[in-house]
Amino acid sequence: MLKVDNIVTRYGTIEALKGLSLEACEGQVTCLLGPNGAGKTTTLFTIAGILNSHSGSITLEKDNLTNLSAPGIVRKGVALVPENRLIFPQMSVEENLIAGAFARPRKDQPAINADLKGIYERFPPLKERSTQSGGTLSGGEQQMLAIGRALMARPKILMMDEPSLGLAPIIVEKIFDIISLLNKEGVSILLVEQNARMALKVAHHIYLLEGGKVTFNGSPQEMQQDEVIQRAYLGAGST
Amino acid sequence: MTDFLQNCIDGVMFGSGYALLALGFTLVFGVMKRLNLSFGPSIMLGAYAGTWVYLNFSQNVLLVVLVTVMITVAVGIYVERLCFWAVRRDATIASMVSSFVIWMQLEEVAMHLLPERTYPFPAFFTSTVIDIGPFFVRSEHISMFLLTLVLLALLHLFLFRTRPGLAVRAVSDNPLASRYMGINSSNVLFLAFAVVSVLGGLAGFLILSADSQVTPFFGLWATFKGLIAMMLGGMGSLPGAILGGLLLGVVEANAFWYGGPVVRDISAYLLLFMMLIVRPGGLVGQRIVAQQQAAYERV
Repeated sequence: MLKVDNIVTRYGTIEALKGLSLEACEGQVTCLLGPNGAGKTTTLFTIAGILNSHSGSITLEKDNLTNLSAPGIVRKGVALVPENRLIFPQMSVEENLIAGAFARPRKDQPAINADLKGIYERFPPLKERSTQSGGTLSGGEQQMLAIGRALMARPKILMMDEPSLGLAPIIVEKIFDIISLLNKEGVSILLVEQNARMALKVAHHIYLLEGGKVTFNGSPQEMQQDEVIQRAYLGAGST
Repeated sequence: MTDFLQNCIDGVMFGSGYALLALGFTLVFGVMKRLNLSFGPSIMLGAYAGTWVYLNFSQNVLLVVLVTVMITVAVGIYVERLCFWAVRRDATIASMVSSFVIWMQLEEVAMHLLPERTYPFPAFFTSTVIDIGPFFVRSEHISMFLLTLVLLALLHLFLFRTRPGLAVRAVSDNPLASRYMGINSSNVLFLAFAVVSVLGGLAGFLILSADSQVTPFFGLWATFKGLIAMMLGGMGSLPGAILGGLLLGVVEANAFWYGGPVVRDISAYLLLFMMLIVRPGGLVGQRIVAQQQAAYERV
């Protein structure tokens, strides 16, 4: 569904992505794993239109997303849950969610209202705190809010950048339960994670990124059977 | 005591004009986290254009208001495109310096347009004095106050009840997150400048028609009053801008009554100085600044 073909993204003269190709299939959780500095966030930013690729192409179903503006890409159906959540701290929970639907056309208003109700049903803590300002929420609640906000854009694919970052382990488990549930309901997810253990539990397909290039491309089972990767990312003898 | 209260009434009325100027600075500061130093002179150019129309074209006061606001908006857009849109996102100081430079340019243009030191500025109705109990108010002051209330209500409606207003608040709150949501911060900045220029043009008209004249010092004057009022209230806070303007008005009115024009002028600076020492976050700023810090550290 989402095809990234041989993109090269630069920060000034430094090549962060050196010809990266991946594919996220519809209805699946596709996971990008890799060490710090591998280019995982750069990949998501390039797809989301925050960064422009120097060469290569990005297509979503039949639409060409390459070098489209960030608002344009949101309109085509790609929503990003950013690293560190990045919610609007002084706006209320409800306003945060409404902001997520900003790229949708005005005539969609009834659908947007229906989606807002749906988010509240899916995440009851958000409904309880709908008038509280975003900055007063706990880390796990902010992550829920960030996910809900991205879902308000009714995306075809949801991109998540390190949702486990900075959260307590029990909250991380809750967030991954949410990711798993979302996917079961049909949401396609492109997940970037450093927490390989949790990611392997939900992913259908794994890409390993190292130094701006894909070095492994396969199912979670294949990854667990590869000894080199096991030692490097999962710790020797882990399941 | 009556005198003091009278001064407070006068101060609140005139302070509403200061509040509008402070709001102009605060709104733009909120969206782009930089000061637009050309705000005062852009209003002055608008007022000069209005005066020119009044002297050479038509005595219709409504037309003067329209021209003042439209020219202020046009100059505001000129400043926005040149000093803020065209300058790189991370060059904060450069953009503020260029707005300072354009301030100089705008003043030159104004002085060539109308070279005399003072020009008459029209008002909607002739100044009358209204008695309310032991106090009296001037008609132009009360109309300025009432119109400011209307403008504040409209601004609140815009920011909190419309989609573009939500975008303005989102970019002010977290510009990076707004970008990820697909909010175009360049468009939002343009809109903020346009709204602020309308506020400024109207504020300028109200202040100058209360004074019945416009001078080439108005640009500097408006900049100082607006910035001082904003800082008194707390930078980046909209309610703070309003309170700061009213406080400045009240202090100046009393300073003028008990001390004269020189004391009035000095009192503004003294007040700011004391505020910066005693409560640097401003009237509302301190609590909000602390809250903002806490909120940002979690996000």
